[in-house]
Amino acid sequence: MKQTDQQTEAAFREQCRRQMQRPLALRIKYGFNRVYKPVLDDVPWRSFDSMAEYREWCEKNLPEYLGYRRAK
Amino acid sequence: MNQRPVFRPVQAEEIAGAFDEEGVEYLFIGKSGAILLGYPGTTQDVDIFPDRSPENGRRIIAALRKIGFEIGVELERDITRGKDFVQIKTGPFDVDLVFAPDGITSFVEAKARGLTEGVFHVANLRDIIASKRASGRQKDQIELPLLESFRAEYEKHHASPLRSAGDIAAKKSRSK
Repeated sequence: MKQTDQQTEAAFREQCRRQMQRPLALRIKYGFNRVYKPVLDDVPWRSFDSMAEYREWCEKNLPEYLGYRRAK
Repeated sequence: MNQRPVFRPVQAEEIAGAFDEEGVEYLFIGKSGAILLGYPGTTQDVDIFPDRSPENGRRIIAALRKIGFEIGVELERDITRGKDFVQIKTGPFDVDLVFAPDGITSFVEAKARGLTEGVFHVANLRDIIASKRASGRQKDQIELPLLESFRAEYEKHHASPLRSAGDIAAKKSRSK
């Protein structure tokens, strides 16, 4: 059965309320994970003089599916 | 670089503890900050908005080394200089130092509006959302409606409404 937008929103808000009630340690446990990201994870560190320079680097170098490119 | 240890929850507390021990001025921002406040999402790195000063940079370096990050001479120089964005993957988990987050103009003002959750200093949700909106990235645009819904729920359950720098400036200009 397909949910309406309102039902989806209500379900998400309920999920928010449950998560806020959980102890901080559980929020961290389930909130942080690590999956290898190509290019992004392939050097030990990188730095940029400006956020604009960083965004430009993301546009040029990261695969689109990672979502780091600017929204059109 | 793709064989990396699993993130352990205690590591989040370790970084906050090391920052406090070294006297680092910082706020968790981005989705990692929202998650600490109860946002039901996931993230892969820890986003830190530190105050930009050479002294704070030196404190950050000391704190990160304490918890196992390898900080070489060049990286040390860039952190101390407070380059706008420094991404570090030489430790037990990934850390982004964002000295100039999009949509937030002043660390001092953001800190004044910030929240404390356990041992963590966290930017307020309105600043986190403002920053994500200003970044204009695809992944942030998708997340924004969910973050706004979470903010509405969060503010229902927490006393004073949070205000971003943009909200405060808009209110001031209306009252003129």
